[in-house]
Amino acid sequence: MWHLTLRNVMAHRGRFALTLLAVVLAVTFVSGSLMLTDTSARLLEDQFTTAAAGVDLTVRDAATFDQAMGVEVDRDPLPAHVIERVRGLEGVADVRPVADGQGLLEVDGEAVVPTGASMLSSYSPEPFGAFAIREGRAPVAEGEVVLDLATAGQTGVEVGDRVDVLTESRTELQVVGLAGFGDGDGIPGATVTLVSLAEAQKMLDLGDGVSELLVTTTRDRTVEEVIAAVRGDLGDDYAVTSAQDAADAGAAAAQEQLGSLDMVLTAMSAAALVVGALLIANTFAIVTSQRRREIALVRAAGATAGQVTRAVLAEALLIGALGAVLGTGLGILAADGLRVLASGFGMELPQGRATVTGSTVAVSIAVGMLVTVVAAVGAARRAAHVAPVEALRSSVDLVDGAAPSRRHRVARALPLALGVTGVAAVVAGAPALLLVPAALATVVGVALQGPALTPVLARAVGAPLARSGVPGQLARQSAARAPRRTTSTAMALALGLALIAFMTVVATSLKDGLSGSYRETVTADLVVESSRAEMLGGLSPQAAERVADLSQVQGVSRVQYGHWIDGEQTNALAAIDPETLPMVADLDLLAGSLDALTGGGVVVADSVAEERDLQVGDVVTMTFSLTGDQDLEIVGVLDSLDAQALSTSWLVSLETYARHFTEDVDAAVMVRAADGIPVEQAQAAVREALADHPTADVRDQATAAAARGATVQQVLGLVTVLLVLTVLIAMLGITNSLALSVAERTREIGLLRAVGTSRRQVRSMIQSEAVIVAALAGLLGLALGTGMGAVTVTALARTAPLAITLPAGQLAAVALVALGAGVVAGLAPARRAARMDVLEAIATH
Amino acid sequence: MLTTTHPAPAAGPRPATTPAPAAVASGVVKTYGHGTTEVRALDGVDLTISAGQLTAVMGPSGSGKSTLMHAMAGLDAVDAGSIRLGGTELTDLSEKQRTLLRRERLGFVFQSFNLVPSLTAAENIALPLRLAGRTPDGLWLEELVTTLGLQDRLTHRPSELSGGQQQRVAVARALVTRPEIVFADEPTGNLDSRHGQALLAFLQRAARELGQTVVMVTHDPTAASYADRVVFLADGRAANDLTDPTVPTVLATMAGLEQPASRAEA
Repeated sequence: MWHLTLRNVMAHRGRFALTLLAVVLAVTFVSGSLMLTDTSARLLEDQFTTAAAGVDLTVRDAATFDQAMGVEVDRDPLPAHVIERVRGLEGVADVRPVADGQGLLEVDGEAVVPTGASMLSSYSPEPFGAFAIREGRAPVAEGEVVLDLATAGQTGVEVGDRVDVLTESRTELQVVGLAGFGDGDGIPGATVTLVSLAEAQKMLDLGDGVSELLVTTTRDRTVEEVIAAVRGDLGDDYAVTSAQDAADAGAAAAQEQLGSLDMVLTAMSAAALVVGALLIANTFAIVTSQRRREIALVRAAGATAGQVTRAVLAEALLIGALGAVLGTGLGILAADGLRVLASGFGMELPQGRATVTGSTVAVSIAVGMLVTVVAAVGAARRAAHVAPVEALRSSVDLVDGAAPSRRHRVARALPLALGVTGVAAVVAGAPALLLVPAALATVVGVALQGPALTPVLARAVGAPLARSGVPGQLARQSAARAPRRTTSTAMALALGLALIAFMTVVATSLKDGLSGSYRETVTADLVVESSRAEMLGGLSPQAAERVADLSQVQGVSRVQYGHWIDGEQTNALAAIDPETLPMVADLDLLAGSLDALTGGGVVVADSVAEERDLQVGDVVTMTFSLTGDQDLEIVGVLDSLDAQALSTSWLVSLETYARHFTEDVDAAVMVRAADGIPVEQAQAAVREALADHPTADVRDQATAAAARGATVQQVLGLVTVLLVLTVLIAMLGITNSLALSVAERTREIGLLRAVGTSRRQVRSMIQSEAVIVAALAGLLGLALGTGMGAVTVTALARTAPLAITLPAGQLAAVALVALGAGVVAGLAPARRAARMDVLEAIATH
Repeated sequence: MLTTTHPAPAAGPRPATTPAPAAVASGVVKTYGHGTTEVRALDGVDLTISAGQLTAVMGPSGSGKSTLMHAMAGLDAVDAGSIRLGGTELTDLSEKQRTLLRRERLGFVFQSFNLVPSLTAAENIALPLRLAGRTPDGLWLEELVTTLGLQDRLTHRPSELSGGQQQRVAVARALVTRPEIVFADEPTGNLDSRHGQALLAFLQRAARELGQTVVMVTHDPTAASYADRVVFLADGRAANDLTDPTVPTVLATMAGLEQPASRAEA
């Protein structure tokens, strides 16, 4: 039968072309996502490995954990005496002290703000450092600096130029050389400034302390032996790690920041696959029904039902394999495209040659083939049921499946009933997680009820078109006539649109919830925040001091963020000043008091207190990177809405924070303008005072509130753009089933033309049908997506203060996208139908 | 019965008594293919269709009868010659003008697949009028439906109608616009003889009592015997002509046609 299969696919190339395209697109998405992930991981790993290439082990200040939420923790500096102590140990060949931190580069008075870090480090010659001087010389004296080649190229800096580097202070430096990093010109997304050790210590205010020691070992000892020896000598106050482990940890931290993107890409790939599968299933169903006589003939000639089934599956396998191979190849391009797309939405990924792993290729091809074959199973089984006697029947009636039996009908209604029950249960108070299976069951249920729903809905959405004339009426009838086909065609598009609508509703509600609670709680006139997307903020405490000194300002209150380990999980906390915060924020304590924080305790949000059954006076154990396990007493319970405005459920005082954290950067400085000073005037004064802090954004309260949930907005944007791909695939589906339907209806179209239907009317008929299918999809998609979104928000609102927001404009845009998709999808089949030769059409038997 | 309740339209170009031509084909040539594979389907056909008559076109397979009908009905363009319908020269018309002509001035009944599956019988009947944006003449529609015995089937879709009913719906659709000519291509080809004869009787009455010009292509001598006149085609030319045919005269004429034809080929 293979021979027949091959012949058949070749003979019906046109019919399978769009199916192939759908497989290719879906697989491209999958392989592109996988390759992007692989590539990012490899580049990050390379970067950290290169940095540690010539070093055997490092010595740093001890920390309970290395990183939290993708951010490496800050460590206290090492005292100078440790250097000599390590150098004197057996097995140590050489020790290189390093001082590093953040230093914002300023060229010609313009801050150079990279997407990643502004690295400032003391220069270590090879083998310790991975930075090799390519031009000029190394920095040796004070006032000298070396930049990475990439940054120098981008900013037009040459050896001999003068630049400024901002730390707590401003330092003017002369560029004496340019360096490369490993084989590259720099570190992607970062600016690198290298100075002498003494200069770095001065700029970073370390005194004679250093950030870490890079150690090489003598040949007669293994690295493990030396690590053990150093550990034994220094004790638990210092972390002694092999350079490789340190590099791995660094890469893992960077990788974790990409985790959310991975998840988005995986989810979107899955959506594309599902929509693609619907299209494939639909095509195979149509093609098989069109070939019933041919199949009957083969059966009459002696083919078994099994052979027929296998032949259809073999076709699917063939198309799946071809599409999967093409899609995997295109994935290399897609990976670059996705990276550009992600960076457009503020998610910066390292750039470099795509990594194609065997597992990516295998997974992509397997997924493509599997999805195609599984999607064709229904059609294959139906093909097997074609009776040989059908070959003898003359009628070529359109077959859309016989009416299902009563038992079948009940079984078909089950998923929808279960889904709706599940959704209702969630609304009534069942756990939100139940929503996932309930939503799935509802979608499947609606698809199964399609044949019953579609005729009614198609007539309803087609009503405006039908009023426009006969073509519209014919289109409406035609869409309603083959309800199963119309449903499965529309369902693919509906699914894509439903996901967009769902994401839009949930994200908008979240964003509105966030900015709403911020607006209600934070009463500051101005809020100073870092314009860089740093997790802990990244404002120098100096900024708060400068602002506080202004005469236009009555007072300021700083907020710092930190991570801690909460049992197994990483959690966040905010550090505030209980004395000044009430001046700029309206916090509502349900128990205890904010002032009690000065004693070293912690205030928790009401939601957390309830969840864990905590009361004022209870003690919780919090693990900090610097100080390890600490018992803190709960001194207050804060209203959850107010806690949300501060982004965390745990509050400590700035003093407590300073005791447990090395980090000392402000996330926000909230400002109260002096009495009688207009906000605009205060804002101008604050901006001027912070001229030396180019990354400090001075926003009024409304702007700051609107900026809450910016991340949510970014993710929504990226997800929407990615979902447009599924819409594209679904659009192909409409084109495909209409094209097949036009071929099937050749005689009908010929008849219409013979009795006086003009080409234009025929075109308008097919075009209208595409629009009706798309409108149907829009209706189903919006209803499902908005409904599920609203239910999700309702469920989330039980633990977080949220209200359902229906963004009418965006949802209307989704409806327009649906109609637009219909118009575009109908173009080709409509043109083909209009061009059909009347005589040939009526002569076709 | 038709004439008593509904007189023929006064303004129609169909005088009931003097047999004026409804359509005239002269020197029509149509070839398919090129060079050695060239086939002359029509090789200079001259034919005059009298108004108000049922004219049957007969001929052996490949005689060009279907091609002639397609050409006269504006479904196909010709290579040479002239086809006049009323005062209109068909060969001068664009594709679009021919479409409008079919819609407004002609009616069609095909052998099978006459109806749009998604439309009801009533919608199918009204289709040409609706395409033109006109509303059906209620009285005329009602009369057609009554005469053809379709009153109970109007809301049914084609798949719910018998073959005979489907063809009667097709006839009603062909007549609903009061066309100048109805073209019927083997209209009884898919019907059993009882239903076939009922349909033919109706076409005959439409011509005789209503003055409806009907051109019917058929290879069935019984069907041809219902006509006022039979035109025989052979090898792309009009070969013979028979007025008031009967089954035996038709059979005899056909037998006479096939022999010279086969001799000419030899």
